[in-house]
Amino acid sequence: MRYIKLSILFLAGLLVLPSCDKALDINTDPLAASSADPNVILPFVIVQYSSRFESELGTRIMDVPQHFSACFNSPRTGPTTSFLTGNTWGMYYTQVLGNLALVEQDALAAGESSNNVAAIAKILKAKSFFELSCIWDKVPFTEALDGATFASPNFDDQEVVFRGCLSILDEAIGLIDKVPAEGVFDVSRGDVLFGGNMDNWRRWANSLKLRILMLLRNKDTSVDGQIQAVLSQPLIESNSQAVMLRYAGGGGATNAFYGIVAAFFGPSNESALVHGPGEPLYELLSGGDPRFDLFILDQGDGGSPGNGIFPTDNSAVLRDNVIRDNLPHIMFLPSEISFYRAELALLGVTNEDAQEWFDRGLTQILEFWGQDIPGAQITLDDATISDYVSSLPAVNLQMVHEQLYLESFIRPIAAWNTVRRTKVPAMGPPSNAVITTILKRFNYPPNEVSSNPNTPVNVNTDVPQWFEN
Amino acid sequence: MKKRLLVLGLALFLGSALFAQRTITGVVTDQGGEALIGASVLLKGTSTGTVTDVDGNYQITVPDGSGNVLQFSYTGFGTQELEVGISNVINVALEEGAVLEEVVVTALGIEKDARSLGYSIDQVGSEELTKARESNIINSLQGKVTGVVINNTSGNLGASSKILIRGATSLSGRNNPLWVIDGQPVNDDQFNGGQANRISGTRDFANGASVLNPDDIENISILKGAAATALYGSRAAAGAIIVTTKRGKTKGTNNFQVSVNSSYRMDDLFVTPDYQQEYAMGSLAKYDSSSVGFDWGPRIVGQTVENVPITGGAGPLRAVDENGIRDFFETGNTWINNFAISDGNEKYDYRLSFGALNQTGVVPASELDRYNVSLNAGMRHSPMLSSRFGVQFIKTDSRGTAAAGANDVNIVGLDAFSSTLDQRLFKPWIDDAGNQINNPDPQINNPYWIRNENLNNRNDTRILANAALTFTPFENFELTGSFGYDYDQDNRFFSNRKGTITRLEGNFTTDNINNIQINTDIIAKYSFDITEDLSISALGGFNYNKRERTIEGLFGNQLLVPQLFSPGNVQQNVPNRDFREQVLFGLYSSVDLSYRDWLTLTITGRNDWSSTLPLENNSYFYPSVSAAFVFSDALGLTNDFFNYGKLRASFAQVGNDTDPYQLDFLFFPVTDATGQYSLNLNFPFNGASAYNKTNTIPPANLLPEQQTSYEFGAELDFFDYRLGLDIAYFNTQNKDQILALPVPQTTGFGFLRTNVGQVNTSGLEITLDATPLKFNKFSWNTAVNFSSAQVEVVELAEGVDRVLIASAFNSVQVVAEQGKGFELLGVPWLRDSVTGRPLINPIDGTRIAGEPKTFGSVLPDFTMGFVNSFRIGDFNLSFTIDWREGGVMKPSTVENLQTGGLVAETLLNREGTFIDRQGVIENADGTVRDNDVPVASAEHFWNALNDNSVAEPFIFDASFVKLREISLSYSFPQTLLGNSFVKNLVIGLEARNVALLYSVIPHIDPEASLFGAGADGWGIERSNVPSTRSIGVNLRATF
Repeated sequence: MRYIKLSILFLAGLLVLPSCDKALDINTDPLAASSADPNVILPFVIVQYSSRFESELGTRIMDVPQHFSACFNSPRTGPTTSFLTGNTWGMYYTQVLGNLALVEQDALAAGESSNNVAAIAKILKAKSFFELSCIWDKVPFTEALDGATFASPNFDDQEVVFRGCLSILDEAIGLIDKVPAEGVFDVSRGDVLFGGNMDNWRRWANSLKLRILMLLRNKDTSVDGQIQAVLSQPLIESNSQAVMLRYAGGGGATNAFYGIVAAFFGPSNESALVHGPGEPLYELLSGGDPRFDLFILDQGDGGSPGNGIFPTDNSAVLRDNVIRDNLPHIMFLPSEISFYRAELALLGVTNEDAQEWFDRGLTQILEFWGQDIPGAQITLDDATISDYVSSLPAVNLQMVHEQLYLESFIRPIAAWNTVRRTKVPAMGPPSNAVITTILKRFNYPPNEVSSNPNTPVNVNTDVPQWFEN
Repeated sequence: MKKRLLVLGLALFLGSALFAQRTITGVVTDQGGEALIGASVLLKGTSTGTVTDVDGNYQITVPDGSGNVLQFSYTGFGTQELEVGISNVINVALEEGAVLEEVVVTALGIEKDARSLGYSIDQVGSEELTKARESNIINSLQGKVTGVVINNTSGNLGASSKILIRGATSLSGRNNPLWVIDGQPVNDDQFNGGQANRISGTRDFANGASVLNPDDIENISILKGAAATALYGSRAAAGAIIVTTKRGKTKGTNNFQVSVNSSYRMDDLFVTPDYQQEYAMGSLAKYDSSSVGFDWGPRIVGQTVENVPITGGAGPLRAVDENGIRDFFETGNTWINNFAISDGNEKYDYRLSFGALNQTGVVPASELDRYNVSLNAGMRHSPMLSSRFGVQFIKTDSRGTAAAGANDVNIVGLDAFSSTLDQRLFKPWIDDAGNQINNPDPQINNPYWIRNENLNNRNDTRILANAALTFTPFENFELTGSFGYDYDQDNRFFSNRKGTITRLEGNFTTDNINNIQINTDIIAKYSFDITEDLSISALGGFNYNKRERTIEGLFGNQLLVPQLFSPGNVQQNVPNRDFREQVLFGLYSSVDLSYRDWLTLTITGRNDWSSTLPLENNSYFYPSVSAAFVFSDALGLTNDFFNYGKLRASFAQVGNDTDPYQLDFLFFPVTDATGQYSLNLNFPFNGASAYNKTNTIPPANLLPEQQTSYEFGAELDFFDYRLGLDIAYFNTQNKDQILALPVPQTTGFGFLRTNVGQVNTSGLEITLDATPLKFNKFSWNTAVNFSSAQVEVVELAEGVDRVLIASAFNSVQVVAEQGKGFELLGVPWLRDSVTGRPLINPIDGTRIAGEPKTFGSVLPDFTMGFVNSFRIGDFNLSFTIDWREGGVMKPSTVENLQTGGLVAETLLNREGTFIDRQGVIENADGTVRDNDVPVASAEHFWNALNDNSVAEPFIFDASFVKLREISLSYSFPQTLLGNSFVKNLVIGLEARNVALLYSVIPHIDPEASLFGAGADGWGIERSNVPSTRSIGVNLRATF
């Protein structure tokens, strides 16, 4: 009997065995997917980019081009911390470009029906590489995003990156040209910028080309032909085509310029005195520019707080009209194109009417901030705008550059590029800086330095980038 | 796999025959009738054995029939052998001073004669654990065990403790030992949940094993080498801690017993900074009432200022004693009470225990309550069948514990106490409308607001259950099926009240973490004598282990109504959910060959199948061989001087798997788009949901890790066993480690999971036990243990010199560096290449930052423990000294204290300028000259020390010597207790963390660590809650 019981027990144990292999086959994460639609990856790419861009670059380096008087943990005095550089670098390469590479690869494999998706991925890729180079000068480009072939990507010269970005944008435009009339992949949910409107993407691609060419032209005027060519293409021409990520405001949808105020200091920038206007901005606007009252609350006529100084009860502070939770992340405005055209006309690159483009650009930017920007609390009427535009003297290059500086307000890289390219307005480093000019570049982040032996040796952060004269 | 199972299963049952068994019980005492606790009882010629309980009772199952011989042994006493007759009760009185033989608990709870072990094992008995009880039982082992480094991280209530056995061998964080309670593995994780990184503040909640009640523990075995743990498989690659809980007595008929153990302790700050009291808050010698933690103001000379801190009114400027630290921190109170009842007889036994730990912390408003209810019961249904089950229900509630690290407003740091800031003025901290008041500056929180209005609570429910059924159908054959269940529901809640500066809109976080572990073993044991001299003992087993973790949480931001923590009351809700499960099947076998009781060869093998590895490559086998040679018996060398000598050697290989879900390329749905300062955006964003690709490239052909180790040792006893020496040398190679290797982010990914690297660990362990003095009423026992474990990272991946192990702040990291070990990486000063002296900036006379480098190992060179026990009549005095030598540490609290001008060393040259004479200035021709540029002020000098994240001036030798524990007890003699219902009564004084005898790290406890038990981080401290010294009284009684 005992043997029988034992045998039954043993056989029962054997019954468990066939289920072993099945029981081991559980290594599939139930909360993750093995593939993802562009309609869910693109929102991550764009919103993550915006979140890090506005909070990391926006709230920390807007005092480098001195749009703001001071920022917390700013690198304006020279050192760029590992947190600032590491967070920004990681965002661009792994969160944005890493995902875009997969989107582009899948879209190209899917054929023409996904040309729109591939084009969007390429445009965003070109914009990202361009901005990376604007921050660090030499960055991995030709060998980037291909770890299987290039485990330690080499760093490309800025000129290579810029010209490569132009090529990528041309490819994107070529893909848009070949978007079929029917059967196109619906990317309207994932395209949180244009809702799948490929005409706007084409305009943005051409506009980005012009932005890049303007920097290239700073070193190499042979690109004038390319500039002239792109000017004949559809560009961002009206505020309705402006590239913006709209913020609804409120929890989880608050622009970081306001978010840092609300989270750390008080209910509003005007009461908490966090963001103040930089001296150059204050000076340029205080000559009657209608934007002064849109941007600045000058308490007791105290003027700008001074470089590196936060506002006080007796100094100017940026208005809640700007520092608000639903402030959109502004990526490209038509006024930038118009001012470029004015500049190019003044330089003789084109035969266009510089005054006309200057006036158009100024009108566009005033209308943007005074009428068209979503959620504006203070507005400008048409008469105020036209009166101011007509009140200005005849355009000259200095005026165009000043307007480009103002036009790039609260857009950290655009503003930084403008002052490095045009040297207008003239500005020097803060009094306690360890560099001899304004910050010109970031140092490479420690993680890349330690993991990539091809990372160039860091140079001082006041060494001009290649595109600067 | 099925074939292997079949073969092994069949092998288990071959050659077996049917026989009955019986249970023998009794009590082991000395010649005076005093019970001997932990005496070993062994069925001669087999591996079957047990140890006596606190009352000297034992119970052992022997085969029915004649010829069974029981061996009774106890340290310092002679072994007695008694043949089992017709009686089932055998009481023994041992004589002092003869052969050492003891039974130890080995892997799978198998009790073996210590002399048969080919590897090192340490045991700690219940007396050691309850002498001066710790709220975290791991700390009770400090200084008492060789080869083990234990770090208690802070003075926070419920703080975790990190335990490391024989150094670190894993680059992937698998350096924590396996905890096994009554045969079942339990979860010892310290999971950080939503606070997974140290950058945003650390909430140090206890590691899983810390909830054990010391009063319930009979014995702890520490298995250190791979040979010792081989039967547990990969999970014990970093060692195993085997806990055996107490049982009821089974001897005789009147075994009902009630025991009470009560302690009360006061907890106070262990180490406090040497605050300077001569200069006021402020900067550049100018007073500033809002300059909290920055005392570079004017000299305090009795002047009157217009605005004293907090009140803002005019008043005299005066220093507050110890910067008010004693006003803020409170005296903690700890009550530890335990009540247990037990009973038993030949048929059954049980022990029911109720434990309560109630604490108030030194940090205001911090409290912890833990209640343990445990039942351990057994039933002998027949001579062939017995069953046993145990369950522990543990409920832990902690409230108001503090955060550590940075970027969290709820941190309580020693660097926030200024010379002229009277902490008492912070009260009250809230007005009737709920607004924060009495804060020193609009940008600085009132610390009492932080402590009382912001919540940091944990509610943990733990159930540890086990059941076992033992079937003994044949002579010398035993089949045991056991089942273990570990359930943990860990609910955490943090909040910042609306109005908290820097968290003005208020927020709350819930983290509900559920861990479940199911473990089943089926073990068959068989032993027999091949010849009169040669015996064999074999076992085979099957193991099934399943672990699940589910996390659900919510972050609610921007509260509408203060302190109403509902998802509907916030403007931003971010939900969180995570799940993981893994399964492991194991087959194992062990064979002991014993020759004449002086030579034992043990061979084990185990094969595991893990769900976390590729299906086609998920099997890994690991063998071990060990041998024990009692040469004193074999060669007949024993005499009055030399009593016992044993040599042992072992070799083992252990495989290891990885975490779940590491093999596939995955896209993760995300709710957050992260931003600086936690200014995150949430998905859906404008109606759009989002997925993010993995940041780790999955492995192509992942292999199990492979750890190979060997160990040699010797055990020697002299002078009638009054002097014992145990020496062990070990060497471990850990290859093919499964690691998320950092890759350049420019590849689009941050990491690549792959098999890489080799870490070698070698070390020496020496234990010296001695009874230097022994008289009738007086004895002195001393034990000295020495442990050294040297870690060398032999190889990483191609082109990779360093791998990040743990990261902290300001670029300070723990890294594994090729050719070195686990090193502290930080930024040094730039130095002249010829003289080695720091280069000075000729503009301001300050030092210049260099490139990051490693500063040395964060692990100690060696540790030593000195345990002394004096018995003077009915008094017993014992103390433990804990010495840790070597390793480096960067305490950021010291950095903040010094740069803030808060401590005494910053008084130097306050009134004038000075020149940094250690530095040199580089001339235009490349030569250097002695620095001749003065620093503007002492404030400038100290504040420039950490410019550009320079860590060098704040990196110290982490060595320390601590008087860890003292206890003095008095046992009421039987002559006093007479015939009262009280059987035993002991009263005592106890103290923990008594004194810091040596440390070069100023101002803080050198043992503090930013990293809890859940990370492989050592050597970095940042704003930890200061550790405490505890002094109290204790009463133990049995009825």
